Amino acid sequence: MIYKLKIAALTLATGFMFASCDDFVEDVEVTVPEAENSEEDFEPVNFLTGVYGMHTDFSYAFSYLGITEMISDNADKGSSPTDSGTDKRELDNLTHTSSSVSVRAMWTQWYKTIGRASQTIELTQEYTGQSAAPTQRVIAEAKFLRALNYFWLVRSFGDVPLQHIDLIDRAPASEVYAYIEQDLTEAIAALPNKNEYSNLDVGRASKGSAQGLLAKVYLYQEKWQQAADMANNLITSGQYDLEPDYATVWRASSENGPESVFEIQARGEIPQHGVQQYSQTQGARGPSGWGWGFNSPSQNLEDAFNAEGDVIRRDATIIFAGETLFDGREVSASVENPRYSEKAYSSANAGQGDGDKNVRILRFSEILLIRAEALNELGQTAAALVPLNRVRARVNLPAVTTTDQASLRPLIWKERRLELAMEHDRFYDLVRTGQAKAALAADGKTFIEGKHELFPIPNDQLVQTPEMTQNPGW
Amino acid sequence: MKLKITFLLLLTLATFSMNAQESKTVTGTVKDTRDVPLPGAEVKVVDKNNYAITDFDGNYSLEVSVGDQVRVTYLGFQAQTFSITNDATYNITLQDDSNELEEVVVVGYGNQKKSDITGAIVSVKSEEITKSPATSAIQSVQGKVAGVNIIANDAPGSTPTVLMRGLGTAEGGRSPLYIVDGQPLSDIRSINPNDIESIDFLKGASYANIYGIRAANGVILVTTKRGKKGKTVFSFESYYGAKTTLNQVKMANAQQYTQYFNEESAANGGFLLDENQRYDTDWFDELLQTGTIKNNSFSVSGAGENIDYFLSYNLYEEKGILEGQKYQRGTIRSNNTYHLFNDRFRIIQNLNIAYTNETPKPSGAFSSAYRQSPLVPVRYDNGLFGQSFVNETTGQVTFEGAPGDRVGRLNTHANPVSQVFFEDTYINTTSLQGQITAEFDISEDLMLSTRFGATKFYSTNHSFSDIRASWLNADPRRDEAFFDLQRTDPDDDGVVSTEFANNSYSISRTESYRWNVEGFLTYSKVIGKHDISATLGISRENFNGGETTSSQGYDVRNERNLRNFNLRTDRLFDDSIGGDTFQSTNLQSYFGRVEYNYDSRYYLRAVLRRDGTSDFVTGDDNFFGYFPAFSLGWNITNEGFMEDNGVLDNLKIFAGWGKLGNQSIPFNAQTINTGDGSRNTNYVFGPAQSLIIGAALGTPAIPLSWEVTEEFEVGFDFALLDRKLSGTIDYYNRLNTNAILNTRPVLNSEFLNNFFDESAEISNTGFEFLVNWRDQIGSDFSYNVGLNFSTNENKVQNVKAAYDGATGGSLGNGRITKRLADGQPIFAWWMYEADGVWQTQEEIDANASIGNASPGHLRYKDQNEDGVIDDRDKKYFGSYIPTYNYGINLGANYKNFDLSVAGFGVGGNKVYNGLYNTRLGGENISEEIFNNRWTGPGSTNTDPGADRDVEASSYYLEDGSYFRVSNITLGYTLPEIKFVNSARIYVTVQNPFMITDYSGFTPELNQNGDPTGTTGIELSAYPNTKSFILGANFKL
Repeated sequence: MIYKLKIAALTLATGFMFASCDDFVEDVEVTVPEAENSEEDFEPVNFLTGVYGMHTDFSYAFSYLGITEMISDNADKGSSPTDSGTDKRELDNLTHTSSSVSVRAMWTQWYKTIGRASQTIELTQEYTGQSAAPTQRVIAEAKFLRALNYFWLVRSFGDVPLQHIDLIDRAPASEVYAYIEQDLTEAIAALPNKNEYSNLDVGRASKGSAQGLLAKVYLYQEKWQQAADMANNLITSGQYDLEPDYATVWRASSENGPESVFEIQARGEIPQHGVQQYSQTQGARGPSGWGWGFNSPSQNLEDAFNAEGDVIRRDATIIFAGETLFDGREVSASVENPRYSEKAYSSANAGQGDGDKNVRILRFSEILLIRAEALNELGQTAAALVPLNRVRARVNLPAVTTTDQASLRPLIWKERRLELAMEHDRFYDLVRTGQAKAALAADGKTFIEGKHELFPIPNDQLVQTPEMTQNPGW
Repeated sequence: MKLKITFLLLLTLATFSMNAQESKTVTGTVKDTRDVPLPGAEVKVVDKNNYAITDFDGNYSLEVSVGDQVRVTYLGFQAQTFSITNDATYNITLQDDSNELEEVVVVGYGNQKKSDITGAIVSVKSEEITKSPATSAIQSVQGKVAGVNIIANDAPGSTPTVLMRGLGTAEGGRSPLYIVDGQPLSDIRSINPNDIESIDFLKGASYANIYGIRAANGVILVTTKRGKKGKTVFSFESYYGAKTTLNQVKMANAQQYTQYFNEESAANGGFLLDENQRYDTDWFDELLQTGTIKNNSFSVSGAGENIDYFLSYNLYEEKGILEGQKYQRGTIRSNNTYHLFNDRFRIIQNLNIAYTNETPKPSGAFSSAYRQSPLVPVRYDNGLFGQSFVNETTGQVTFEGAPGDRVGRLNTHANPVSQVFFEDTYINTTSLQGQITAEFDISEDLMLSTRFGATKFYSTNHSFSDIRASWLNADPRRDEAFFDLQRTDPDDDGVVSTEFANNSYSISRTESYRWNVEGFLTYSKVIGKHDISATLGISRENFNGGETTSSQGYDVRNERNLRNFNLRTDRLFDDSIGGDTFQSTNLQSYFGRVEYNYDSRYYLRAVLRRDGTSDFVTGDDNFFGYFPAFSLGWNITNEGFMEDNGVLDNLKIFAGWGKLGNQSIPFNAQTINTGDGSRNTNYVFGPAQSLIIGAALGTPAIPLSWEVTEEFEVGFDFALLDRKLSGTIDYYNRLNTNAILNTRPVLNSEFLNNFFDESAEISNTGFEFLVNWRDQIGSDFSYNVGLNFSTNENKVQNVKAAYDGATGGSLGNGRITKRLADGQPIFAWWMYEADGVWQTQEEIDANASIGNASPGHLRYKDQNEDGVIDDRDKKYFGSYIPTYNYGINLGANYKNFDLSVAGFGVGGNKVYNGLYNTRLGGENISEEIFNNRWTGPGSTNTDPGADRDVEASSYYLEDGSYFRVSNITLGYTLPEIKFVNSARIYVTVQNPFMITDYSGFTPELNQNGDPTGTTGIELSAYPNTKSFILGANFKL
């Protein structure tokens, strides 16, 4: 019966094989990567960089152009007739819908940026390690960026959910503005002046940036006195001045110069990093071209410059087909569109994916115009002429002399258009000042009052949160 | 199998009994009803160890005693018992075992008699598999199993997609679990179809659930051949075949293309082509060749006193319909069983070695051939490949032009012939798979089985890219001197771009392994009318482990044999190496099963599996799950009152319920998004504008568990009219209770990255019908008809709020075609509804239209009638998943001839003609599109003109139903020849024709089966092929 022994041994061996069974599963160490377990140490300031970084996304180089300039009387879609740029043709014609990808892109972009800013603030408050950057300043910068994105949201969509409260209920615009004002007020208190930043920190939001934005926020709410005062705080801070030559205000040479209140930073050397494809999407298209040819300045804009005799700003704003640019580049007369945005042009990185173009968000001249507009509305017309004429003087235009409030008002609006053309403000200015219907009609577009003042809440958002209400008319 | 085990068991016991009777020798012949001798039949004295095996002529001789009972058995025939009297000769005629009820079916950790099965299991035998030659046996089964939808791909060496009872998961693994002789495998491409004895599809949850956490996509059990008692059998099988495209689309010719191009161009204000052009290339003619298949198999099998053996060798070679496309597979299998200690102890050993050599070619060539203009030559006069250059000034399709001429491109597509020419990849793989099983009969009723199996897989991929030649061929105006200049670093920045390397060469190697150990006890006992059996076991598995390494270098020598990193011609470029290891998964399982029946009338079955997997070990003790199942059966025909009913031979009702798991799911990982370069976590600060690396939090990781599918099935097996008509009809209802979806965070929430969450339920319901008729007319003619039909309704339900609306089916041009929605099939088609063609501008101005609508464009329906065409006007249009599948199999034998015809079809599905839809301008079109196009107001209100938009719409969504005759085989069995046991020659036509309304190449669009991807969309699919095959097999 020797085989019985053998079999007994085999049976036992089998039994041993399975001893202490459940442990087998735990033999493999599975680690689910969690943020806290990350090998690298991140400081709050790293997350703050991530908030700034959101402003370099492609949305700002394409979708944003559609909902700020192409939709207005300043620019046309541009590019080839067959290239619709997804929904840019619809935006240009004001036939966009709640499904338009540009509207969805910006809605999402702004909210995600707000999310990152809030996370940064929270992480900074909880952070216990040694931090290279002062905690209060990091929080203040994040608050500035959060306020900036809420401002873009509220002026585009009206009542919008406040992310930290609820994702469905749309807070009244007044509450959103109150939240923005609170963030900015706290930021002003904590942020250093522009000249107090070390060299390494050039480009960060400063006290002036927050003041400038707050002045603009007051302007949108028609809080004239506060707008005028806040603009004045910045004007009298001694930190800012106009660039002497208007032609250079959007060039690499004036980056972070005296006129810069806040701008998105970019570098053209490898590794390149800027607002992705900002110069490429708006570059000349066709023979000798370097870009896609979108956001082409309109005939209407050219006419507005010409009517004012504003040669300096016209030539600094528009690249004309057949012209030779300041850096010697010859633009063929046979490019596909008659005009391109010169403010988007990068001499060093014209058609490249990333380039050195710093996108100006707030300039000193705009702060002057905010003060001018606010003072005029307050009836202080004479005082309003001072900042207005300072802007005009730079571009060799004669001083405005009228002190009639009603006559001065459209002159200030016109000045804003010419000074800030192609700087992503025109459509909102038209809506804010009630000129939209007439101005767009003059450009051959149909602006439906009661509808087009606000963009539609994106359909994809409503699919996810069906209880959210849509804007009127959409 | 079970018969044999029982027999061997009895044999063993017999050795212990005494035998005192006087013996004598009897002889005889065993034949079938057609008087054909049956070699290898067992003639055995009941309860004794005496047996004989019939020889080649069916003769036997056996020691017996008067009064002995002798039982004659032969596979496929009914056993017969006779008593020994004083006669010396006993000639036996065996009846065909047409009822198949004694057949045993492999059910996982054991077998069950087919008559005792209480669930939907379909078993496919070797003859059915080898009848349709294919690389993978699964493809041969296409259309033969109700409820199993196999979507094949005719590219050499491809793996078909298998959907058992519908698609129940979106992001989880979709493949069924393959168990080969008890050993889990990821697919069965490495197994020679000729080595397979049977494939059993465990469709019902009450059977599949014995494989617990991996059973949700169905379980496929493969049993390979083993040696049989009797003479040693040498078997040879050879076939040779030729393949061509089944459903060739006729493309527009040069003149039609020119006219179409000019109409499109005129509408957009572009340049016009000259009507006189030099070339008229038929790209499919140039691209496609006749493919070939060659297969040679050899096997030897038999059994000695203590050993059964089966040894086989197979070489399969396939050349595809693209030049140079090749797949070759060799397999060696050795399956042995050792019967020890009077067969109380058995060792069963399997070994399979498979190696493949493959030179793939890009399937993108098919879409280029569809799109490239016929005006472009294959090669220019200078020998370089033709490209889509056109002289816009003269309108001639050429790269040449006078100074000042504008030379542009007709389109952005490649020359398909050059795509195939420059693809130089060589893949070889080796897979070693082996296992040892030991079975020990502890007592008459109790058996212990233990098994160890392991698989090792190696793959090496050599990829060579002739950068210099590609660069020169991409634009015939290019100059080799310029290329050489660039290699000298003319801008002196110390860097030469790899764009100017002569070539690049990369090798990547992958190794993976898996193993399993298991042990189980099987108890079976019949006490009076009570028949009980039980199984209790435990298993461990380790899988998914492996590693990959890759290296890439430049400027190696062009000759294939000299492509060696050490023999480089230049060292201008750095090499790169990479590597990864894959964490293996440990799976620990316990399983138990009880089967009981009373008098073969009432059946009860309960199964419980407990699985724990290391993939879910996260600190908590939640990585074990229980998977129970039950089934009940009632055999009505075995009731007293049904005896002698004269109509029904068998009627058995069954119902089952079970839980199944799918552990192959994606994981969430919360990472901090960071990295160098241009990305939205980085920013520029400082006077020198330095790039500062930042970070952002990823979406928080939600812990996920395996998907759990619950299934209920009910059905009945029947046989009537002397078992001529038999079949199974059943209904199933499956519900994936926690389907994991790739979810986009709410747009206005703070996180950016998509994440996975248990977001919905996916239900699949349907009916399955399987009916067979077989009859014999006279002694020379027999025939059989098999029909199967199954339905499937796929539905996503209870989608979590905020997770609805995920989109998929991207066409690669910013347009999407699918969307997930509550109440719809998973990732249903979602697009505009085409509503005629705009005839005039006035019509456009007066109605809702999209963007740049102009006459000749498709008109889309304003579903919500708000005067605007937007996403809210998009509509759901069903799914690419068929709602019904059917198959038909006919067989007939007349004397020595046999004929079989098989066909199958699907219906209720839609497929998207992406080739037609996605145009950027300047592509070729099919002749049909050319002829049907809109040419002016009133010409047609169905098809768009040459100038049209690229929106995805129902116009391009076509009926995907088809019926394909998949196999016609005519065979002739040669009359007896000396020494040759049997010899058969045959002719097979595979896929001789297909009936479909689809206008593209094939409605069978497998892709990788991912519902969110391009499955169901024809963009660059390999066309179906038809083949003509001649074959022969001999048995010695």
